[in-house]
Amino acid sequence: MLYAQILLNGLVLGGLYACISVGFSLVWGVLNVINVLHGSFVVLGSYIAYFAYAHFGIHPFFSIIIAGALLFALGYVVQLGLINRVVGAPVLTTLVLTFGLDLLLNNGMLLAFSADYRSVQLADPLGSAVVGGLVFPLDRLVAMLLAGVLTGLLYLLLVRSKIGRAIVAVRMDREAAALMGVDVKKIYAITFGIGALMAGAAGSLLSLVFPISPLAGSEYLSIAFIVCILGGLGSISGAIVGGIVLGLIQSFGALFIGPQHGLTIAFVLLIILLIFKPTGIMGRRGYE
Amino acid sequence: MSDPFFQISQLESGYGEIQVLWGIDLTVNEGEIVCIIGSNGAGKTTLLRTISGLMSPTAGSINIEGRVIEGADARLTLTSGVAHVPEGRRLFRTMSVKDNLLMGAYIRNAPRDVEEDLERVMTMFPRLAERANQDASTLSGGEQQMCAIGRGIMSRPKLLMIDELSLGLAPRAVELLSETLIEINKSGIAILLVEQDVMTALDLAHRGYVIDRGRITFAASSEELRQEPAVREAYIGAA
Repeated sequence: MLYAQILLNGLVLGGLYACISVGFSLVWGVLNVINVLHGSFVVLGSYIAYFAYAHFGIHPFFSIIIAGALLFALGYVVQLGLINRVVGAPVLTTLVLTFGLDLLLNNGMLLAFSADYRSVQLADPLGSAVVGGLVFPLDRLVAMLLAGVLTGLLYLLLVRSKIGRAIVAVRMDREAAALMGVDVKKIYAITFGIGALMAGAAGSLLSLVFPISPLAGSEYLSIAFIVCILGGLGSISGAIVGGIVLGLIQSFGALFIGPQHGLTIAFVLLIILLIFKPTGIMGRRGYE
Repeated sequence: MSDPFFQISQLESGYGEIQVLWGIDLTVNEGEIVCIIGSNGAGKTTLLRTISGLMSPTAGSINIEGRVIEGADARLTLTSGVAHVPEGRRLFRTMSVKDNLLMGAYIRNAPRDVEEDLERVMTMFPRLAERANQDASTLSGGEQQMCAIGRGIMSRPKLLMIDELSLGLAPRAVELLSETLIEINKSGIAILLVEQDVMTALDLAHRGYVIDRGRITFAASSEELRQEPAVREAYIGAA
């Protein structure tokens, strides 16, 4: 029964991790840009949810719309105005640019919101339900389900819509996509905007689960990194598999080794994976 | 005489310091199939890339129906009616055949018309209809070229440019593609064909240009080019 409970916790955590990572993976896959800003985007999403609840009483489940829209706009502008200038450059250049932007955003949030940990205290939390001896933390569970819905919507967008096809086409062959009349720079901006949107939405959901502070940004970034490499880069299924695997590693690792070592265990397993299967669990070759 | 439907004059282009094209003059009349033949590195691909806006010319002009398109980006060139089927097909490998064809119609906004054209392409290439939902990477070379040409005409171009139709394909596949190109041409689309296989090119085209080290060295009807001793010696290998 203990194992079943830990499995459940791991799955809930994993679903949230997948949602954190999927936008990061998309941007990496399509733009070949490692977006260091991603963690801070998640934190910004959490703050938006926090203030929306504190000032307007909007439940974080609904502020995913606000946070998503604001972050999309921010991401779109940042890509169009700044990152598009260096997008074809070697990875180090884009890495330095997003790293610099992350310093600005993260320190900006420190100034504005301070480093104090905050959390959303719901006036009427859903509490938890006990079914067959298993404890279901309902707020977390709904957050995880919403994260799954968002990830599913992103998948449908990429596979079914015209704009999604253009994103996939640019990812595969940007010159051939240009010959189809695709405005590649605009698709880059939209893709980066979607990455930021997913980060903001994930941040809103996480405001119910984790304490909110700018300091959490680098941790979210590490999570996105590990998930992408575990699952394999640039595919949504990779992010889902990677997220769930990381969630399970952390919850079982907490049981056997101790909760304070969660990320350490994940990184150790990551290094082992990189030695034996460098393309990730679902990954294919052919990416830089 | 009125101006030709598609006209290039004194076009120069290249990669950075390296100039590849030196004053190219070329025309395509309405409803024509025109081929460009020449050896490796003669500048054929550079010419098509400059026309389609993947590269910018350093001098000269390109007109389609009187509209100036030199220096325009790829999207504007396409909306002006010039589609480019690139060398090596360049299909979107993990997308289905159908999605590849739909990408060809990316600039068009009327879903019903696009659906109709999709039907037309599938009738033109029954093999593509059979494989509509397969990934493009699973197609054979000939089928990939069919898909690439189908994708090219999905934008409803006035001029279809094809870079290396026959490269790496079985003779039977080339024959099949040639027949379809004639059909496409009869439906009112002019074709500019770049080809290393001179016999295939001259069989298909009404007129041809020979390009050598970035300059046009011969321009004549296919029949005349076939008889031209210098062409026979250099490109057909029989005197």
